[in-house]
Amino acid sequence: MRASNKLKISLAVTAAVSLITVTGCSANQPAGSSAGGGTDKLEITSWWTSGSEAEALNVLIEGVKASKPGLSVDNAAVSGGGGANARQALAARLQAGSPPDSWQLHPAGQLKSYVDGGQVADLTELWTQNDWASKLPRDVAEAQQVDGKYYTVPIGVHRGNVLWTNPAVLSKANAKIDPAGGVDGLISTLKQVQASGTTPVCLGDKDIFASAQLLESIIMSRTGADNWKKLFTNEYSFDAPEVKQALEDYKTILSLSNKDHSAITWDEAVKKMANGSCAVSLMGDWAYGELLNAKKKPGTDFAWVTFPGKEDIFDYVGDGFSIPAKNIPHPEAANAWLKTLMDPKVQTEFAAKKGSIPAVTNADISTLSEYQQEAAKSFAKASVVSSLAHGQVTTAEFAQTYADAVSTFNGSGNVAAFIASMTQAQKTQL
Amino acid sequence: MTTSTALPPAPVPPVSARPRFKKQVPHNVKTSRRAAWIFAPSLLVSFVFVYVFIGITVYISLSNWKIGTSPDLTLRQPFGGTYGEIIQEQRFQADIRNVVIFTVIFLVLAILGGLIAALFIHHVTVGKGLFRTVFLLPYALSFIVTGVAWRWIFAPSTGVNEILRSIGIQNPPGWTTDTTILGALNDPSGTDFLKVQLGVPVALLPIIFAAAWQLVGFAMAMYLAGLASIPEEYMEAASVDGANTWQRLRLIVLPQLWPSTITCFVLLLHVALKIFDLVVAMSGSGPGFVTDVPGIYIYNYLTSRYDKASAMAIILLLLTLAVIVPYLIRGYRKERKA
Repeated sequence: MRASNKLKISLAVTAAVSLITVTGCSANQPAGSSAGGGTDKLEITSWWTSGSEAEALNVLIEGVKASKPGLSVDNAAVSGGGGANARQALAARLQAGSPPDSWQLHPAGQLKSYVDGGQVADLTELWTQNDWASKLPRDVAEAQQVDGKYYTVPIGVHRGNVLWTNPAVLSKANAKIDPAGGVDGLISTLKQVQASGTTPVCLGDKDIFASAQLLESIIMSRTGADNWKKLFTNEYSFDAPEVKQALEDYKTILSLSNKDHSAITWDEAVKKMANGSCAVSLMGDWAYGELLNAKKKPGTDFAWVTFPGKEDIFDYVGDGFSIPAKNIPHPEAANAWLKTLMDPKVQTEFAAKKGSIPAVTNADISTLSEYQQEAAKSFAKASVVSSLAHGQVTTAEFAQTYADAVSTFNGSGNVAAFIASMTQAQKTQL
Repeated sequence: MTTSTALPPAPVPPVSARPRFKKQVPHNVKTSRRAAWIFAPSLLVSFVFVYVFIGITVYISLSNWKIGTSPDLTLRQPFGGTYGEIIQEQRFQADIRNVVIFTVIFLVLAILGGLIAALFIHHVTVGKGLFRTVFLLPYALSFIVTGVAWRWIFAPSTGVNEILRSIGIQNPPGWTTDTTILGALNDPSGTDFLKVQLGVPVALLPIIFAAAWQLVGFAMAMYLAGLASIPEEYMEAASVDGANTWQRLRLIVLPQLWPSTITCFVLLLHVALKIFDLVVAMSGSGPGFVTDVPGIYIYNYLTSRYDKASAMAIILLLLTLAVIVPYLIRGYRKERKA
């Protein structure tokens, strides 16, 4: 009796497993087939899922719907991992030959890996037809190209090298940060703050990108924009005296930072700064929205200054969209989508929600916040360079090598070891 | 799925010949063929999803496939170059050191803690159920949830350090931010092959403690089951012969619990080698990779170097096999003897 009961149970389990497998497969089926049918559809993927990001994405979706009435938009956003999860999901779809109509990506280095894989469509014709290059700063237009051809359109611009400051703490120490004073000026100001009894710098590098971004800001301040770019074409070495000096500066600034920096995150660090625990914190301008959410008043609770350097550099962290080279399900809708993205009005509305600034220079910025207006003005005239900490200026592999080298340096403070691993990466990875 | 009706009925021996409590259907050609059919789907699924995928991962680790967007499946020259590349990395060396230290200390803490808790609960007369629940509850939680709470507890500027400061300790420990290596065996210059200090990273200790806290309940449950299966007669006989509590524990209880210890060891070893979520929640990689583990390495390189991520996954598998295989071989030998 028992034996036949056991048999029944095992058969039932087998049946259940087979059913799950079958339904699992069939659940995937309609998604694939629906992408193939109908012309009034558009499917886009991104990693914008948090509150303000999702709202900003919605501006774009409403925009394309307005330009193509009756269009139904499928928002296939994937959250987590700073976009890593979304890129994984996209890679799987690209390999399976069923891409979405358009996907989010960073320009320059990240774009290049898709171009090398033959996965993104050449948009040069669309660019020349609409004369988009003339509406963008030259460096930004260049970042959308690989080997002279356009493969993506820029929707928004973030700045990486912003030094957020606490005016009360600075004035208590009778200190002032001069953006033209260079890194040396900054360090002497920070020492002045230390003498007044307050920790000068708030850093939160539990996620290493925060440190990587601080070091990157120091390096580009020391080398200048042109040499920064040459680091990634192997025309300028990480072995240069300016880079070595930058590492020494970074070591000094680390010693002037909160001791628990590796235990806290970047957002905790900027809030600590606004609460008066320290004078400054370096972070990209997504910190602005974080500070507003924490009920901090711009101008009184916190202020900002470009990271001091010998010239005005804009560390560009950009977002854009591309379309697939092969198997695009709805080419016409995708075309309308790209045109919508470059609409100055849409870019302004998008920026208002996202906290970034418009990429096109003919967008109206008068409705944006004071910080955004300042950043937009600087964007139009500063030297624009791409960020390494965010994997934009070159390949993901090189960016990961850099992040690892920064982690190692944070533990050992060994300048020679850092330079050795970066010059090695320049030789083998570029 | 009504294949059960198509199967031939199980052979039924004459009623009079059937023993009252039959444990097994007698083995014959028909039943074993049927068993093969029943197991075929799960065998197929585990073959594809375990062994084929391990094979694919081994291949990728030997190939030139760098980024997910453009697979390059040609074999890397020289053969196995990716392994040669990663073993020279400071990060890789730190990861191996960390995972070994983590595993050893964690296993000792969790197994000893579980044993003590089980002995306590087994002998306590009041509130047995309450204590059992209290110890087992952490095991029911996710590492991310407990990891966030432990991160707050060990945050250097707040958390437990607030208490330490209030009782007059001026320089409380930095916990997960401490880069000291206890009992360091070497002092690498940066140019040698060995780029990390071998020893016990202080920053890892709070994480090991948190992991052990969470899995003590699991070890306890295993030991409670083991304790319940020790025949009462053994203890009675020992008492009659005049054995004291310590002697009974050492000579009867602990040897009888040996199978539970082995099971705990093997199951907890998995947790230790594959640890990822708790470390991510509590500290991340840490300065100089003092708290980095292979799991985080694999995750980081999945978007930039498929070959390196795969090579690390295979090394992690080999680490596991190095401990599990001897255990399995021993088990088979015993079975054959019996």
